[in-house]
Amino acid sequence: MSHVITFPHMAKDDDAEGVVATWFARTGETVKAGQVIAEVMVDKVSLDVEAPVDGVITCLVEEEGTVKQGQDIARID
Amino acid sequence: MISDDTRVQFYKDMVRIRTYEAALQRDYHADKTPQWDIGAGLIPGEMHLAAGQEPVAVGLCANLEQDDAITGPHRPHHLALAKGVDMKAMTAEIFGRVTGLCHGKGGHMHLFDPANHFSCSGIIAQGMPVAVGQAFAFNRKGTDNVAVAVAGEGAANQGAFHEALNLAAMWKLPVIFIIEDNDWAISVARDTATPIKDGSLRAAAYGMPSARIEGNDVEAIYEACKIAVDRARAGGGPTMLEIHTVRLWGHFEGDAQAYRGDELQEATERDPIPAYEKRLRAAGLLDDEAVAAIQAEAEAEVEAAIAFAKESPEPKPSDAYLHVFA
Amino acid sequence: MTATIDASTRRVTTAKAISEAIAQEMRTDPNVFVMGEDVGPYGGIFGSTGGLFDEFGATRIIDTPISETGFIGAGIGAAVEGMRPVVELMFVDFFGVCFDQIYNHMAKIHYESGGNVKVPMVLMMAVGGGYSDAAQHSQCLWASFAHMPGMKVVAPSNPYDAKGLMISAIRDDNPVIFMFHKGVMGLPWMAKNPRSIGPVPEEEYTVPIGKAAVAHEGSDVTVVSISMSVQHCLDVAEELEGDVSVEVLDLRSLVPLDREAILASVAKTGRLVIVDEDYKSFGMSGEVIATIADHDPSMLKAPVQRVCYPDVPVPYARVLEYEVLPTRDKIKAAIAKVMG
Repeated sequence: MSHVITFPHMAKDDDAEGVVATWFARTGETVKAGQVIAEVMVDKVSLDVEAPVDGVITCLVEEEGTVKQGQDIARID
Repeated sequence: MISDDTRVQFYKDMVRIRTYEAALQRDYHADKTPQWDIGAGLIPGEMHLAAGQEPVAVGLCANLEQDDAITGPHRPHHLALAKGVDMKAMTAEIFGRVTGLCHGKGGHMHLFDPANHFSCSGIIAQGMPVAVGQAFAFNRKGTDNVAVAVAGEGAANQGAFHEALNLAAMWKLPVIFIIEDNDWAISVARDTATPIKDGSLRAAAYGMPSARIEGNDVEAIYEACKIAVDRARAGGGPTMLEIHTVRLWGHFEGDAQAYRGDELQEATERDPIPAYEKRLRAAGLLDDEAVAAIQAEAEAEVEAAIAFAKESPEPKPSDAYLHVFA
Repeated sequence: MTATIDASTRRVTTAKAISEAIAQEMRTDPNVFVMGEDVGPYGGIFGSTGGLFDEFGATRIIDTPISETGFIGAGIGAAVEGMRPVVELMFVDFFGVCFDQIYNHMAKIHYESGGNVKVPMVLMMAVGGGYSDAAQHSQCLWASFAHMPGMKVVAPSNPYDAKGLMISAIRDDNPVIFMFHKGVMGLPWMAKNPRSIGPVPEEEYTVPIGKAAVAHEGSDVTVVSISMSVQHCLDVAEELEGDVSVEVLDLRSLVPLDREAILASVAKTGRLVIVDEDYKSFGMSGEVIATIADHDPSMLKAPVQRVCYPDVPVPYARVLEYEVLPTRDKIKAAIAKVMG
């Protein structure tokens, strides 16, 4: 079953855009539930994103590219 | 009694500073997107802006002459502007251009203007002994000039503060110590770092007069500074003033300020400039037209300074090797 | 003990590796605590104590006033009475206000007491520039600490070493200066250095203090470096593969200095380039060269090339700062020069 990870809502302004500052896992790697897979940032506030389940990750967005809050950023199969 | 003209001038000076800080904030962030990178853009590095602290600079500097000295902290722009440092040269320095005060060598925390006897340092409290030295020189030269050291409430817990106050009092020097208490040392609240509520009490330990000024009101600050400056000029020695002000923005630009919680919203309600505007309007000294004109004049000056900076050439790379020694 | 890295090892930033090391030691040893400015809820200005306040609270993760002499001295006092403080000096550049406690007390007490009193303390600090923080916030200064006897000095270049060295530092009964370069921390608000994020085993492990690491094996030239510059050296070594066989020696520690590793590598290659972001004269690079000169200068086939920060304060403007920083281009040019 495919599990989609979305960019968290972090800012008061829902339209504020953010970035995936750092990917800690690369497409094709196996990740464990709870593992920190990315550090994301909106308005200079940063947050760790954890994998919710075990599986193989596909990263859907580039590092440092603009992303909307709520946008799909990764998939774990 | 502060004249009406002076009161309006206070307002103009504070608006000028706020407009400057807001424009720098805009330009500082503008080219650091989408991935915020502190080293990127036309204004790289750290940026510490003084929005909310304008009354301290304006109230203090209204008492100072060109040949009086100020040593400022890492958050220096309000003090530099109020002291008379040229806005264009200062801005060019912040943009790292060769036309800057320090030819691009110093940047925003290291602004040196000897003509106005203005300097600042990025090391907390270390400007205080220097101001003591400047006061020493004024004394020896027989002028009635004074030196002022400005630092934050966090600096009052640093060794140099205590040594500087002791020396100044021992040698009865014409130096004024201004502590800007903006409640925060980066993320550390004053109450968790300083056990006494009124830091001006410390001056008594060094045998010098002092006061704590509440309210962040430019006129009260002006009056308190006047007493201290007059005392120093007359040979009466040093004074310490602790001025409660407000840090409206982050410690540095890029500071998310999560540690401030609800206090951040409450702080914005203590913005001294709208409060002062309201008082002057009630006194019939300002109206919509005057306020708009003052704002427009400030914006014009600030944008011209920024344009000057942006159009100025960068230093030559080999300039990096100059000025190690005279 | 070392720990294995394989394809399944999770990758973290150096900042996270450091805070994880401190957390793991704090869980097993109640004597370990952290003290410094903004180390609490803020998590350290450069992320060295991220997450620690939430786990351990205000009694063990302590925000201090701006009183470096006071709280570093307090760290010394706690250490001599058996605690194991991890004290943070926010920027190495601030050592001026507190150096007496560091070099006259922390470093000398064990010696002065004839070995009777130990100071098991870690003093960690942010070092380095490259992001326009100017003269008072961009220095490295490890040579200044290394020069004074009595304190160990480490400066990791990557997350794996950072965690292992921090655990070693906390367990060491001696005072250890732990210097983390801001560019090595992997922070999201600074220019990205890919090598600042890397595989770090979840379990605790140590990296020995006083042992260098061959970060890239080679046979034509030895490039000795430490901290952030190691990352640049590795980039150059990889780029030159096939043309020049570059051996990159990551010192990891300055005190003790792994002179055997330096000698072994230069004995093999005969050519030496030193890359150091600290000021050139009277520093690390001179000590590395002295190690060769003291032992056998004839092992050098060519004069040594030093790619070091020149003897100037750090300038603010970006164009000036990058003129003086030891960049990849300068490292490549030095390798070309020493190869002849």
